[in-house]
Parts: sequence; C-alpha cells; structure tokens
Amino acid sequence: MDAASLRFADVTRRFGRLRVLRGVSADVGSGEALLVTGHNGSGKSTLLRCLAGLLAPDAGTIEYHEGGRALEVAERRRRVGLVAPDLAFYGELTVAENLEFFARLRRVDVRRGLDLLGRLGLPSDQLVGALSSGMRQRLRWAFALLHRPRLLLLDEPFQNLDAAGESATRALLAEHLNRAGGLAVIANPFDLELDRVAGRLHLGG
Amino acid sequence: MKTILAWLLWLWMCLVLYGAFLYARPAMGFAAGQSSRIVFFHVPMAWVSMIAFLAAAVWSARYLLGGRRAEHDRAAAVAIQLGLLFGVLATVTGAMWARIEWGAFWNWDPRQTSITLSLLFYAAYLALRSAVEDAETRGRLSAVYALLGVVITPFLYFIVPRITFSLHPEPLVNADGKIDMDSEMRQVLFASFLGFTALFFWMHNLQCRLQALADRKSAHFYE
Amino acid sequence: MWRDASTWAAEAAAVFAKDWRCEFRTRYALNTLALFAFTTLVVVSVSLGPLGVSAAKGTPVLPTLLWLILLFAAAAGLPRSFVHEEETQTATALRLAATPSALFCGKLLYCLTLVAALEVLITPVYLAMMSLEVHSPWLLVGTLAAGGYGLAAGSTLIAAMIAQARGKGTLFAVLAFPVLLPLLLLAVELTRHAVSGEPAGMALTQILLYDGTVTVAALMLFPVVWNP
Repeated sequence: MDAASLRFADVTRRFGRLRVLRGVSADVGSGEALLVTGHNGSGKSTLLRCLAGLLAPDAGTIEYHEGGRALEVAERRRRVGLVAPDLAFYGELTVAENLEFFARLRRVDVRRGLDLLGRLGLPSDQLVGALSSGMRQRLRWAFALLHRPRLLLLDEPFQNLDAAGESATRALLAEHLNRAGGLAVIANPFDLELDRVAGRLHLGG
Repeated sequence: MKTILAWLLWLWMCLVLYGAFLYARPAMGFAAGQSSRIVFFHVPMAWVSMIAFLAAAVWSARYLLGGRRAEHDRAAAVAIQLGLLFGVLATVTGAMWARIEWGAFWNWDPRQTSITLSLLFYAAYLALRSAVEDAETRGRLSAVYALLGVVITPFLYFIVPRITFSLHPEPLVNADGKIDMDSEMRQVLFASFLGFTALFFWMHNLQCRLQALADRKSAHFYE
Repeated sequence: MWRDASTWAAEAAAVFAKDWRCEFRTRYALNTLALFAFTTLVVVSVSLGPLGVSAAKGTPVLPTLLWLILLFAAAAGLPRSFVHEEETQTATALRLAATPSALFCGKLLYCLTLVAALEVLITPVYLAMMSLEVHSPWLLVGTLAAGGYGLAAGSTLIAAMIAQARGKGTLFAVLAFPVLLPLLLLAVELTRHAVSGEPAGMALTQILLYDGTVTVAALMLFPVVWNP
C-alpha cells in the first residue's frame, strides 16, 4: 500500500476584513485521523475547503502526497472525498441518477455507487429534492466515498444522522482508516469519539 | 527623482501645446483649417487608450500566472480606468472634429464605431468588478475578461468597420484617413504621442499608489 | 491517450445528459426561451405591421430583428446553465468531481442544443409572419448554425463568470453584448445576403474565425473562471 500524507503549515485565510484562519499547521499520515474542533466561526469549514482545493489560502502551504508524489491543487481537488453541510445535489434527479452522474464524471464503475447506496441505506429511486436531511447527509457520504479517495475531509460528518446512519458511516470511516490506509481530517464543533485519532487541532481563541 | 521626471513631463506637454498651436501650420484642405490642430490630441489619446487596454491585459496575465498578487490586479484595473478616460476623451474630440469638418457629431463611421464598442467592452469590465465582493474572485474574473478583450478587440477594429462600411455605403462616410502632413506636423504629433504615453504611465503610477494606500487603510482585520 | 480521450468525452457527455435530464423534468429553460422569443416576435411583428411601417421600409431591417430576438432570448435562457448550479450549490460537487474542460464542453453542447431548438422554433415563424422570402436557404441555415454556435460559446463562458457575481441577469447582458456584437453583425450581414441571394463573401470566413477564436479562448480561460 503506497503511503499518503498531508501536511499543511501556516495556513491563513481571510474574508474581506475578517481573518478566519490564522496560521494553522498540522501533519497527517496514513491511517491517521486529525480532529479539528472549535466554536462556530473558528474557521473549521474554511480549513477543510482550503485542504479540498476549493479555496486558496492567502498564505501558508498545503502538501498532499499520494503514491509517492506530490499532487497539484487541481489533482488534489479531484482526489479528495469531502463531506460538508453545504454540499448539495440535483433535486430533480433520483439518488441513483445523481450517483450515476458523479460516477461517470469520476470515471468510476457505476456499480460502486449502487454498492454504497446499499451500505448507507439510501433509497435509490427517490428524488433528491424529497430526501430528509438525514438521508441527504448519507448521500453526501456516498458522494465522498464514490471514487475511493485516500484523503477524507469531513465537516460535521454525523450531523442529522440517526443511529443507523451514524453507525453505517462510522463503519465506513473505520474501514477507510484501517483497511485502506487512508487519512481523514474531521471538523466538528465538539469532540467526537473516534478511534485512531492521531492528532487534535483546536481553532479559535 | 520622480519629481524631476514629473516636472520634465509637464515641460514636455507645454512644448507639445506650443507646437500644436503655434509651431505647426494648419493642414491644407480642411474646412476650418485651424480645427485640424485637434489631431495632435485626438489621435495620441486614442492610441494611448489602446496601449492602456493592452497593458491591462499584460498585468492581468501576470496576475493569473504570477501568484495572484493584488498589485497586478490593481494595476490592470487602473489601466482600464485610464484607458476608458483617454478613450472617452478621444471619442469626444473626434466628435467635435467631425462636427466641424463634416457637419455631424456622430456618423457611425468605422472608427467611431470601433472605439465606441471597445469602450463598451471595458466599461463592462468595471461593472464586473463592482459586482464581485470577494477580492480573489474579483481579481480572477476581471483578469479573464481583460484577456478576453485582447481576443475580441481585433474583431471590433478590423471586422466590424468593414461591415458598417458595407452597411452604410453613403458618400458621406468619413474616411478619417490620411492627412497630408508636413514635417512639422509629424514632429508635433510624435512628440504629443510620447507625451501622452508618459502621462498615462505617470497617472497610472499615481493612481496605483493611491489605491494601494486605500486598500491598506481599509484592511484592518477583525480577529 | 485514446482511452483518456474517450473517458473525457464520456465526462462531457455525462454533463450534457444530466443537464437535459434535469431540463426535461422541469422544462424551465425551454419554457423561458420559447416564451420570451415568441413574445418578442409578436412585439416586432406588431410594430412593423399594424402600427404602420410599410413593407418596403421594413424589409432591410428584418434580418437584424431576427438576430436581436435570438440574442435577447439567449440572454434570457442560457445563463441558467451555470447560475442554477451556483444558486442550488451543486457547483461544489461539480468542482470536486469534474474535469473543467469536459464540464465546459458538456455545458456548451447543452447551450448549443438550446440555441438550435430556439432557432428551429423561431425562424420559420418569423419568416412566415414577416413574409420574408429567402433566396439562399442553405446560406441561411449555415448562418444560423455558425451564428448560433458563436452565441452559445460566448454565452457559456460569460455565464460561468457571472454565476459567481451579484446582479446576474443584467450583468450577463452587460458583459456578453460587447463580446457577441461582432458575431451579431456578421450574422446579420450573412442573413441579408441569404435573403437577397448575394454570395456570402468574406463574412462567412470571418464568422467561422470568430467561432474558432471564441472557442479556443473559452477553453483556455474557463478553468481559471471555474476554479479558485
């Protein structure tokens, strides 16, 4: 299993006058999870978006290595799996159609999507617009794991999930870290009980 | 050093004015001969406006390829603002001359058309900037639009005039064409061109510095 | 390399298919385009006919009016291709999953088919209502194709830009019209030639040049527009 690693140093980001991230640094290796906590507005989501390549930091560096080489931002963006509260899908299409579309984009076998549907207990023929918030959250997990990413970026990953949903997703996360040697950066307002938490980062003053 | 250069520029422009009104003789074959002196201002300003837009494209490319530095974005935006200023002045002086020479302020003749469409394009650039709040997105989108301008402008200056000419083949079409210029006129025109170009870069430098100060001032951060 | 090309094309096709699938379920863009175009058509016809502009005076202007209708309908209906993605926040998922160039081509194809549908719908009705006889119908078809392509290509790029700004509706028109104006003039000229039966001349080469230039520029600039 080739190693993957994430390292970011002095990441800074502001929005207009508001300085949201002030020089944040950490290291994450294969099979490790970094837990990022902080109050609302402390920059957790911003950090994750920077790591995902959706936002460019104003200062600092983000280095992600996979298979022995460093990935550029554009590659990193396509390689990560992101679960975030503002991730939305096509309401006019069914769950299966959405996953099928993203599987095509990601050049991944469509059956992988159906497989995840089953594991997460998602109704394949329901329109996404009619999903409950818990089901939507499960769909976000399916989207994130579709292409078997090595780096999972999870922003409030268990939000809105019921007991079944949370146990299914926790199982998937454990698989990702243990069997697949993947990394994860998990942001949550409060502490989460997780195995293999190798590091903690607390944002905000 | 800068002050000396600024004073030199002032002196140069005074010489240009002297040359335009006293040194050069009015061109032959124009209705009101003295009115031809407007060429010493109208033409250089039109040219400088084009140089300004080209410079903006260069700065936009530097912004995109050279690390997204705010100073490049600022330089591009200021260049376009000045390009619009010079362009509008060129259009107005052109219209004034057209009125004197050919009796009408506006004729949609090829050159008037081209410059107007070009100005519309770059005015849209400013509209785009004011519609984007995030500095990074604003810089990125404006840079793209400025570069798009480089692609579109040749169409505005070469293809559109051909069409408007063929759509309005009236004998009244103004050929803003070759003026018989004697050597004195050429000297003054060239001097004026140099002067206006220098003026553009001087104004650009000033405005960029002002803008940088304003940006720094408004950038006090909340913690 | 060929495998990559085929999967790239598959990506673009997936985007195209997804857009049309969504469109068929809501029919929003088609309705907007059709309604807007027909309303404008009626306005034009009424202002030339019952309000008393004679046929002789009206005819030279008819090609222009046709293209104005197409331009304004496009401005009403095409930007949605990107604006909708940003407004419903599906753009984030697209940014993570799609290759920018494939995404652009998929969206361009979608806008192209919308424009083609619009032209097929409007042109015959326009010709009939204005009693306009076209002496070179093939030239007209070619003009609609080349002009429609330019309209779609320019609009798709500008749509991607304004989707990230405020004031999206009016801002689109402000940004797109200067860009599309050379295309408009060339298309009008060619349409006039088609109506009167004259040969196309340089304008045909020039409109194809415009189409090619805008396509290359858009493909190069889109990744910058789309990603931070």
